[in-house]
Amino acid sequence: MELIPILSTIILVATICTFILAIGAYILYKVREAKGQQVSYPQQKEVYGELIIPSAAPQQKGKNSTVRTPGRTTFVERQPIFVQQRQPISSLYNPQPQQYKVKTPVRGTEYASRQRYTGQGYTNISEQGRKYADTRFLKYTNEGYVATQDDKSSGELKWR
Amino acid sequence: MKTGQSTIKAEIILPPAGNNEIEQENGKKYLRRIAFSGVISLILIIVIIYSMPRTILTASSLIEYSTIVALIIFLFVLLFRYFAILVLAYFYINEYTYKLGSGFYPFLSIIIPVYNEEKVVADSVSSLLALDYSNYEIIIVNDGSTDKTENVAKKLVGYQKGLHNDIKVSLINRPNGGKSQALNAGIRHSKAEFVLCMDGDSQLSPDSIKVAVRHFTNPEIGAVAGNVKVLNRGKLFTDLQALEYIEGLNLGRSAQSLINLVNIIPGPIGLFRKKAIEGAGYYSSLTFAEDADLTLKILADGWRVYYEPNSISFTEAPEKLNQLLKQRYRWTRGIIQAIRKHKKLMVNPSINFGDTFILWTMAFEALIWPAMNIATNLFFIIAAIFFGFTSLIFFWWAGLALLDLVTVLYCIAVEKEEFRLVGYSLIYRMFFILIIDVCKLMSTIEEFLGIKMTWGKLDRVGVKT
Repeated sequence: MELIPILSTIILVATICTFILAIGAYILYKVREAKGQQVSYPQQKEVYGELIIPSAAPQQKGKNSTVRTPGRTTFVERQPIFVQQRQPISSLYNPQPQQYKVKTPVRGTEYASRQRYTGQGYTNISEQGRKYADTRFLKYTNEGYVATQDDKSSGELKWR
Repeated sequence: MKTGQSTIKAEIILPPAGNNEIEQENGKKYLRRIAFSGVISLILIIVIIYSMPRTILTASSLIEYSTIVALIIFLFVLLFRYFAILVLAYFYINEYTYKLGSGFYPFLSIIIPVYNEEKVVADSVSSLLALDYSNYEIIIVNDGSTDKTENVAKKLVGYQKGLHNDIKVSLINRPNGGKSQALNAGIRHSKAEFVLCMDGDSQLSPDSIKVAVRHFTNPEIGAVAGNVKVLNRGKLFTDLQALEYIEGLNLGRSAQSLINLVNIIPGPIGLFRKKAIEGAGYYSSLTFAEDADLTLKILADGWRVYYEPNSISFTEAPEKLNQLLKQRYRWTRGIIQAIRKHKKLMVNPSINFGDTFILWTMAFEALIWPAMNIATNLFFIIAAIFFGFTSLIFFWWAGLALLDLVTVLYCIAVEKEEFRLVGYSLIYRMFFILIIDVCKLMSTIEEFLGIKMTWGKLDRVGVKT
């Protein structure tokens, strides 16, 4: 028997089988897809995301610096400001201006109560610092060092 | 990789997520079109039947002649397409010169959108830390994964040891909104002038950035497409896809790059000038082929798009037929959606001739070519079964296999690929491409009928290099 008719028959059968395989696989794929869950995603005006970035560059920290604990460096940004994106000038599509919110780091409320205005801006004063500020001026008496505020209430003569 | 480094968490508000379901045009509209075309065809058939007795033709001879004419046209188109691509690619590869150390090393951001990629995301980041480039950062965008991707990605955040210096790795967690929205979130967060977009399952070769970024010294270049290769080889379908990527995709891209009009910047590796993305209005959720859509918009804006063959990204290819069909179904429908979105550019070459040319070639590859291939194969089957011309199908196969063999040899020599893939060229056209073309044809019909579709998620196996 000649070679070409045998090869032709093989190729013919292979081509028909490929056709059947392709169509069968496609139908099977569509059936599987139809059985699968159809999840719909509702349109939202704003999407909240979470950004996690490293706290500082290694060269900024210095070689001998200790790694800060995540608890101290973690904060949640709350007050958004609006940033206008640069718009394409020559775009054929001319998309609508993209306005999105970027949050600036603002100190948490636990820090706000400790702030004091000093004339040059807000500074943080700790409880220990406040105690120190109140007892900077002391007067020596027989009972030892007493605060000047306590001394005012004593009713004695004062230098003017 | 270092884990457990100190991090800063911040809640951010992202642009609205696009609906995952692509807006479908009304299916009834297409049914009306099909009905209208059917009526016109019926009228033409009646005219032919009525006028035939007045000519020397008979019904059987008309079918015979029309079939022969169709076959000759198909053969001509096939040969023209092959040789045009081969010649253009040949000139491109001759023109291409490998120049390292151009001195242009700008800062760039690598954006990795991930959705349920717990098995592969760490490997992707590892491949990025081995890049032979120092001036870059990595931004992982977790698109609402339902597996442990978020935990895996969180461990990667920090300053990781790269090849030359420590590389900053950041993470954006966002609700699921699709790949395009995830990429947009990463691009917007980036402060770099250039961004590299890749897939969560892709791994880059060490030289990939260095060789690609130098093309941006030309201010007309808006984006550089990389070379995608199959990572998980050794199985029938993955080997055939490896061959397809080399012969079908990269050869075509080389040809397009000669005229700086690459039509699709592949998802696994695409380097962009951020200005070009901003000008094009970022990735869109309106098509399932967001990469094709963005490339067309960038080209329409007047930018040039180049292909860099040495900028290599290894990606996982579907191993099962079902997964392969799912991927091709999405690609085909996405490309048709992108073509339809830009139809104004298609019919009006005065806006941008390059875009018009590219759109027509895309339409040919997506719509006409698969239909022609299927029709020809059906013709040979019918001719063999009903008319006894069995040997015709052998000569047809032999001709195509020879053409593929020569092309594959050339491509493998150019890309320094595995020689064993040459053997697959014998079954490539008649087996693999036939299956893909049937899927393409079905997808095209579904797209024109307006049948709804959703994003499919391919199963990842997590291959180590």
